[in-house]
This record gives sequence, structure tokens and C-alpha cells, in this order.
Amino acid sequence: MWTFIIRRLLQSVIVIIGVTLISFVALQIGGDPTFLFVSERATPEEIEMIRKALGFDQPLHIQYLTYLGNILQGDFGNSLSYRQPAMDIVLGALPATIELTVFSMIFAIGLAIPFGVFAALYRGTPVDGGIMTLAMFGQSIPNFWLGIMMILFFGLYLNWFPISGHVPLIMPLLQGDFMTALTNIPSSIYYMVLPGVAVGFYSLSRNARLVRSSMLEVLGQDYVRTARSKGISERAVVINHALRNAWLPVVTMVGLEFGFLLGGVVVIETVFSWPGIGRLVFNAINQKDIPVVQASVIVLSVIFIALNLIVDLIYARIDPRVKL
Amino acid sequence: MPKTRHLLMASTAGMLLAGTAFAQVSDDTLVVGLSADITTFEPAAVSSRDNANVVRHIFDTLQSIEADGSVVPDLATNLSISEDGLAYTYTIEAGRTCHDGEALTAEDVAYSFNRAKDPANAFTGNTPGFVFSSVGFVDAVALSDTEVQINIGAPNQIAFGLLAEVYVHCKDSYEKMTLEQAATSPIGSGSYKLESWTPGSEVRLSKMSEPGTFQNILYRIIPEASTRSAELMAGNVDIITNVAPDQIDAINGSDTAAVQSIQGTRRMYVGFNLSPEFAAMPGGDAIQNPDVRRALQYAVDVPAICAQLLNFPCERATGIVNPPNANKSLTPYPYDPAKAEELLDAAGWPRQADGTRFTIRFQAGRGRYLNDENVVLAVAQYLSDVGLKVETDIMEWGSVYVPLIRERNVGPLFFLGSGGGLWSPLYDMTDLAKVDSGTNYTHWNDPRWFDRWTDIAASKSPEETRVIIDEMLQVFYDDGPWLHMYFQPDFYGVSKRLNWTARPDEKVYLFSATLN
Repeated sequence: MWTFIIRRLLQSVIVIIGVTLISFVALQIGGDPTFLFVSERATPEEIEMIRKALGFDQPLHIQYLTYLGNILQGDFGNSLSYRQPAMDIVLGALPATIELTVFSMIFAIGLAIPFGVFAALYRGTPVDGGIMTLAMFGQSIPNFWLGIMMILFFGLYLNWFPISGHVPLIMPLLQGDFMTALTNIPSSIYYMVLPGVAVGFYSLSRNARLVRSSMLEVLGQDYVRTARSKGISERAVVINHALRNAWLPVVTMVGLEFGFLLGGVVVIETVFSWPGIGRLVFNAINQKDIPVVQASVIVLSVIFIALNLIVDLIYARIDPRVKL
Repeated sequence: MPKTRHLLMASTAGMLLAGTAFAQVSDDTLVVGLSADITTFEPAAVSSRDNANVVRHIFDTLQSIEADGSVVPDLATNLSISEDGLAYTYTIEAGRTCHDGEALTAEDVAYSFNRAKDPANAFTGNTPGFVFSSVGFVDAVALSDTEVQINIGAPNQIAFGLLAEVYVHCKDSYEKMTLEQAATSPIGSGSYKLESWTPGSEVRLSKMSEPGTFQNILYRIIPEASTRSAELMAGNVDIITNVAPDQIDAINGSDTAAVQSIQGTRRMYVGFNLSPEFAAMPGGDAIQNPDVRRALQYAVDVPAICAQLLNFPCERATGIVNPPNANKSLTPYPYDPAKAEELLDAAGWPRQADGTRFTIRFQAGRGRYLNDENVVLAVAQYLSDVGLKVETDIMEWGSVYVPLIRERNVGPLFFLGSGGGLWSPLYDMTDLAKVDSGTNYTHWNDPRWFDRWTDIAASKSPEETRVIIDEMLQVFYDDGPWLHMYFQPDFYGVSKRLNWTARPDEKVYLFSATLN
């Protein structure tokens, strides 16, 4: 297993270099970024001075290699907009996104499993029809539209939930302020409900369908029939025998789902004024704040790679047939 | 089971309390919903209007420009200009104090100007990038504790107004700070000081001195227009900027807020790129002819665009200068497609067998101006109606369109807005101060306009200057490089608990806001 982990980590380095290179080149396509940081009345001399100060006067490959060299020394550069260390800005925004992603994942997976199981157990009944209709609905509507509708209905009309905003939970913990983190828990969750549901609804729908089909497949297996014939209660058959094996495709999906949800929060963070990494990257791309985009790409890549690795390890753990 | 139920009830109550605590705005705090993030508190790096609107509450300026365009004292009680027009000497009001407790003197003012210019700092904000470039700033010298002299490179009739945009900050504190610290820890002498800043989320200011009626100002960053409107209607914010036109009726129909619509000073136009490179492109050759450009003025129904797409009854512009200072003898071009067709025929561009006269590319950015994409499509349709085959190319604003614009490499037709002011017609006209000005995106080079700047510099009286300006504006109206559109309306959502009036120049100053 250790060989597998080391091999994957080495591959990860190549992946990270690859994504930084791609994003670096992509940001150059729109033209010289210097023009976004100089006044429209700047003289050619002033433009050249700023270009030099920002390092855009160097050939692209030199700029990139310099950047990689700086990364190796832990220097991710300063944001061109914020004039702060780019990595600090990215790491400052990451906890908010993690909070939202974890919440939406708990919401999605927590409901997808019972929904999928019930739909499979009551296949062809109104319960199954209702759950599958809901799932189809969830997979069909764009999350930003759902978010806006929830704002208008649950936020503005019913006044049940906050319309926008964020109460930090992870950040105080990281800063060692446990008391604030503890007192923030209710309001933090309260603020997460609408954006979390908007982000997680698609995932809930997709996973409910996945669990249903996986359960249906397992429920028809011989060992389940055997379990039933032994006189074990239906509840035990479903939970201990069927669901355990139906888990495998779901576990794979859950790992990937976290990455999917991380990507899905970009729009929702804008709709709900959530100060996370998605909105940060979106703005940074628009402003060609290359250091922030690059730092974000690295952080997100590391998260994706770590998630995939964890999924592989868990998979091997729950399915003895899988060898690493 | 009862335990679980109690836990559920407790957490629900906690959530409701948490929500209630947030939902209520307090009487000592003014809450503003902004559409764009605040990126810096470094006074020399501020460039966006939203950022400037926040920062202005922290830093004082030498003079202030009022909503009506009048220039009034702020830090400076007096200004004297040398005979050669190159030295501006300001007398600083005694008794002003920095937020760090130190007295604010002429030395702080000189330091603020010189620090902004220092190449080692590589600042790119409005002060070094726009003000200093426009006036040819040389240096600033403290003559005494209360007198500071600003030296500029050439006489400039609007330098006093431009210098009024520079934020004065406090030397003692800034000398101790790194650039990174300065970007997050502003020390000024304004009415408010920064309490906290959560990037992407909120900025909190607290009151230090008069003027300023509210004890605290909270800026919340709410990028999505419909979310801002919902927060306003729910009573959670007092002012929102950039209300989407399609949400005006909903806000006005609510019990909590109303929309203030005001004609802004930002000049919206369709530019004709007249550079030789673009003259070689399809349609680029046609628009070289002033008669063609004039014909196209008649082809676009600007009031209809305003009414339908901007939800505002705007008057069509007659030129580059805002209405109070415009040439009053000019009337907006009417919508007269028949006349447009007639003039195009006469200019040598009749309809061909396929019904079109010539093909032309129309470039624009998306998402920067009010309903810009639809405005561009509407203009393209109007031009198509008189026989042009318009190929619209609408691109992402920041990362694609802006670099093209700054390289003056967009067109042959392009849609753009340019910030203006009410305090001087020359301020509006300096977009075209020189043929090679960075803001002359059209490459227009008519000597009847550009040669007159020398006359303005040499004019002996305001009346003489006004005559020259009117003559220049007549040329611009007849043969200029802009298809005149409108002055962009601004929509502010304002809570009914608040007494505050929006300004036409996009400046959101809250010093005089009070509760009803």
C-alpha cells in the first residue's frame, strides 16, 4: 500500500505542474495582463514601468519557470489586486468553501441513501415514483436558479432563513478561538442551509438514483435471498447485507462528489454572497490576478488529488477484492 | 426520544435567534450592499469606484467635489496658483488629527503625494495612474506645517479638481508599515476608521469625527443583483448599488424600500475606430467618411433603448460633455432611419442586391455596464435596419475586452462608457486631449478639435474658453468619432428608514445620511 501511496504522490507532482502550466497559458490568451493594472491614461513609459514591476516584461517561459522556482521556496507571489500574499488570500477563503461543501455533502449523501433505499424497496410504488420525480427535478434545474428561488421564498417571503452572508466556523478554529467557533455553530449552520441545499440538490438527486439502482441490483442477488430464507428480519437484510454491498459504487461517487461540489459552489457563492474560494477564483480570472488563480489552482488540485487517494484507500478497505 | 426532541428544539431556536439577530439593522449602523468586492485600502492603489466610495470615508482630500460639481474645501482652506500655473499652494486646516493620534500637517500631505508617485512602490491606482498622468505631477513640498506646494509639469485648467482626488494619509504610520500592511491597515484623517475587513464579505467602519451621522457603516459585498434586492426588501440593508432595471418595480412595490433613479455622468457611446489598420477592415473604410458616421447617428433610437432596456427616460447625448456643461445650441440627433438611409446613399454606400450596404464588426464587453449586452444587440439591430450587416462580437469584459480597449485595438465599431464629471467640461473632454491619448480609442485626429487645446491653454478668460469649447463640441457633434448614446442612469435601492440622496457621479458618500 505504501508503494501505491508514494507512486500516487509522485504522479501528483506532475499533475500539479500540469494544471499550473495550463492555467498560466490560459490566462495569457486574452492579451497583456498589464493593461488591467494601469490607468487608461498611462503613458507608454508608465505602462512599461508597471509591466516590468509586475514581471510581465519577461518571456512567458521565463515567467513560468520563475514562478515554479518561487513556489519551491514557498513564495506563491503577491495578489495583483489585493497586494497581499496570494496563498494567504486563497487559504483565507478556503474554509468558507469547505464549510459549504461539507454541509451540502452531508445534506446530499445523508438524504440520498435513505431516498435510494426506499425507492428500491418500494420499487414501482408511488414512493419510488415520488422520489425519482424529485431526483429528476433536482438534476434538471440549474443550482443558481434554485438558489435564487429559495432566497425569494424561504428568505424574503417566509423569512425563515438568511438571504445571504456567512458566519465563519472553521476559521476561528484554525485561529485557536474555540469559544467563537462554538458559539458560531448555530448561526453558521443557519446561514449554510439555503446555499448548502442549492449546491447539494443536484448531488442528492444523482446519488439517490445511484443508490436505488445499486440496491436493486444487490437485492436480486442470491445471498440476499439466502439471508431472507434464514429468517433474518428485512431491516437486517437491507442494512447488513444489501446496503453494505450497494455501498461500493456510492463510496466511489462520494469521493468524486466532494470535488464536484467544490466546483459547484462557484456560482452559488456569488448568489449567496459566500466569501469562498469559488468567487475568489472567478474574480481573479476576470482581473487576471494570476498569482491568486495559480495559488487557487494548486490548492484545489491538492484537494482533488488527496480525495482521490483517500477514495482509493477506502475502496480497498471495504472491498477485500481490491488490491493496491 | 424526549432528549432528541429537546435537542432539536434547542438547535432550531438557536438558529432562529441567530437569524433574527442578523436580520435586524440597528439605528447606529448604516448597512450598504455593494456589488463588487473591496480589494485594497492602500490609498495609492485604489482604482475602482466601489473601492473609492469606501476608502473616501477613511481618507480626507485637499478639496471635495460636491454633487452639483462645485469644489469646496476639505483639508485645505485655501488654494493659490502661481502665475505660470505650475505651482499649487494649499493651506491646510490646523487641528486635523490622524487616526493614529498624530496631528495632520502639510508634511503628511506632501508625503501622500510623493509616496504615490514613488516608482519603488509601483502603485497603479487612480492617483498615480490617472491624476498624476493627467496633470504631469512633479512633486510635493511642505513649505511649513500648514502650507504645501504641489508642482505640476504644465499649466492645466482642471488640475485643482484632479488633485482633489488624491487621498491624504498619515506619514508616521505609513513609514512604519510595509506595503502589505498598508493595504489592510489604512490610517487617514477622515470621519471613519476601518474596524474590520473580511475580503469578499464585509467592511466595517466606525466613526471618528464629524461629518458623519451614523456611528458605524457596514458594507456587505453582495455580487448578485437579485440577492441585493432581496436583502434590501427584507430590511437587512439600507442602500444597494447597481439595482438591475428589471427589479425596480419590485423594490418600489415593497413596503421597505424605493429606488432612486438618477442620470449619471458616465458617457455611453458607440465608438468608430478610425485607425489605418481598422480602415482596411470591412466597414472600417466606410466609417472614415464623416457623412457615414453622421448618417448612423440618425439610425439608432436611443430614447427607445433607454426606455425599454434601461427602464429610464434618458435624453440622448449631444457629445462628450455632460449636459450642464454641454454646448447648449446642440440638439440630440433624432431617430430618423429614412434620413440615415438617404445620407448613406449620398455618401456612396447604397444597398446592394442582397439589401446590405457594408459589413462591419461591432465589438463590446459583457457585464460591465447596465444591460450592456442587450443594448449592443439593439444598436446592432438598428444599424441592420438601415442596411449594415453587423457582426456583433460580445466578449468577456475584464480579461478579454479591457486589454483590447487599452491597446486601442477594438472595433471598427465598439461599445464603451467613460466616466465624466459635472465640475468642468474640460474634465469630460480630456478623454481626447491628444491624438495619441490612451483614452482616444477611436484614433480620431481632426485638427479642428485637437489643435484647439492650445487655444484653451492660452485663453485669457472663462468666457473665451467657453467659446472655444463650444466650437470644439460642434465639431465633435458634426464629425466626431462617437455615435452618441446616453448618460448611463444609476439605480440605487434605498431603505425607507433612511434619508439619503444619490449623486449623479457614482460617488456613494454617506456622511449626511440620516434616519427618517
